[in-house]
Amino acid sequence: MIPGLQQALMNTVQYALFYLIFSIPLTLSYRTTKVINFAHANFITYGAYVAIFLHGIAGLDMMSVAAVLAFLVTGSMAVLNNLLVFAPLQKRGSSPAIVMISSMGLWIAYKYLLYMITDVAHHYTGRNFVSYGRITYSDVPRGVIGGIGFSQALVASLIATTISMVLLYLLLEKTKIGRAMRAVADNPWLAEISGVPRSLVVNLMWFICGGMVGAGGVVWTSFSGAITPEAGDSMILQVFTVGFIGGLVSLMRTGMGAALIAAIENVGIAMLNAYFGVPVSFRPFLTFATLIITLIAFPPLGAGGGLPYRFLRRGRK
Amino acid sequence: MGFDVMGFMVSWLTLFGIYAILSLTLNLESGTAGITNFGKALFYGIGAYVSATLTTYLILMSNGVDINETPPYDIRGIILLGELGNKNPLLNIGFTALSLVVAFAVAGLIGYLLTYPILRVGPAFVGFTLLSAGELLRIFLQHYEPVGASKGLMAIPTPFSWIAEGRVRELAYLGLVMGLVALTYLAVHRLVNSPLGRTLRAIRDDEIAALCLGKHVPRTKATILFIGSGFAGVAGVLLAYYLTSVNPNMFMPLVTFNVWAMIILGGFGNLRGSLLGAAIITFVDRALTFVTPQLGVAVISPDYLRWVVVGLLIVVVLLVNPKGLLPEGPIKTPALDVINEELRDDSK
Repeated sequence: MIPGLQQALMNTVQYALFYLIFSIPLTLSYRTTKVINFAHANFITYGAYVAIFLHGIAGLDMMSVAAVLAFLVTGSMAVLNNLLVFAPLQKRGSSPAIVMISSMGLWIAYKYLLYMITDVAHHYTGRNFVSYGRITYSDVPRGVIGGIGFSQALVASLIATTISMVLLYLLLEKTKIGRAMRAVADNPWLAEISGVPRSLVVNLMWFICGGMVGAGGVVWTSFSGAITPEAGDSMILQVFTVGFIGGLVSLMRTGMGAALIAAIENVGIAMLNAYFGVPVSFRPFLTFATLIITLIAFPPLGAGGGLPYRFLRRGRK
Repeated sequence: MGFDVMGFMVSWLTLFGIYAILSLTLNLESGTAGITNFGKALFYGIGAYVSATLTTYLILMSNGVDINETPPYDIRGIILLGELGNKNPLLNIGFTALSLVVAFAVAGLIGYLLTYPILRVGPAFVGFTLLSAGELLRIFLQHYEPVGASKGLMAIPTPFSWIAEGRVRELAYLGLVMGLVALTYLAVHRLVNSPLGRTLRAIRDDEIAALCLGKHVPRTKATILFIGSGFAGVAGVLLAYYLTSVNPNMFMPLVTFNVWAMIILGGFGNLRGSLLGAAIITFVDRALTFVTPQLGVAVISPDYLRWVVVGLLIVVVLLVNPKGLLPEGPIKTPALDVINEELRDDSK
């Protein structure tokens, strides 16, 4: 029996839920808009900071209110990104790489803008917002059921993930606008010719994806012990790897990737630590190894313009 | 108030030289060959750490110090390095040359190896894999004791630390940096203005077409990443000797984005544009370090503002003037001259 295995298993479930709520929107937004959004990390951080500012300045400790507000804030950010940057670039026919680089510029700008906002907030309130402790919410239950301790974070992430997945399923599969979204994802030109209002669908998709990640960021504040303006960045490796396992196309595989990465990171590092004394802080190496294996063994050919070089060699002597 | 113009110029030009090597090679990789390299900081960091480790350990060992007892990251080691670092000019210069060669080889090799997993996939995966590889290097260095863990290595003996006069030492070092910038520029210029350069542009603009025309795209990309990463390693060596210390947090992904801002501002695919972009951004940086203390206590740190501006600069330049300040020109190969010559003969 590995010491701390039970804790590692609990963490696996917890992290799997977080990775799910952060990665599904990444895959979904790429599918519909064909933009690799590096500013994805900002949505997590800004969502978390909506909750922090509500808690630290307004003294509000209702997660439901914070989550709704964060959804609106980060969803609007995503729509603004699209209206001001991505859409004009795509309209001009820029390559996907150029759009990606512009999202990287947005990432830096947003991140340091948040640092500036925390500085201003510190100036007026005298409180430290650059490293904020875990928030205890009044509207999230917790307790021990059947010998398993349900922390607020676990309860909140279970509720948030369930609600968002059910709503997403209903939206995509059961409504007309969902059909339009899938049509745009499959073939934007055909969808447009068939009378689908493409830019509206894309903007709506950005709003939903950005908002969902932001709401996930609020849940993150009930879990993480110290939230900084780098909170989203520290998870970007895992979130993108999960998305890449799904090839940025398949939602099902993305979901499986979330569970896989969470298990590899928590159970894997617990085992390595117990048997080989590997420091726990080396857990990103396991994720990176998974990323490399994914790229070599299952290269996501469709997404991002990959080329099937595997077939190149066969033609040569 | 006296302003040390000379000191400002020397420090700016040295910084410019280091960043110029990075931006020239990034322009070769990304602007010309279309490899979205978001991991420049990785190779830069490898170069810096290779030179720091080699120089500090070798200087101590060549002076007969037992490095098991007084390793260079130890406080006694740092003091010893300060005493021994300027004794023998030949040793300093020799170790510098060795560091440059080893850093080029190691960084280049890692760049070459990293092309294997990323050859099959598109720009997003390439960029992201290299970016996270850089972050992993940082995590590794933060926990690896022989290179000083999170404190890093200090008191690195520089190639010219035996020169007593400060200004002369700085100028000598500036000379070395400028020499290496010239070498990089020549090498990259030759590569771009060659048949290989044309292949690179073909790969950038349409990979499938290049493949169908029989160009070996994977091998070409790997070669370019080897060269680009090797020179980034050289830039890292120069940084380590310039600052005389290295620590893991000097190689954040931000460094990479800074270089990206330079090549986007200067002009994608234009080498002189990279130099111009590097000059502008490093000049603003140096000027800020002189201006910031004059501002006194501000609510918003100028450092944060600077990064917001760099981020927005990338976005705005791409939106308003995607070609940058100096647009990409035609390739000048000998073949082109021959064709022009013949055309001129025909028209006579």
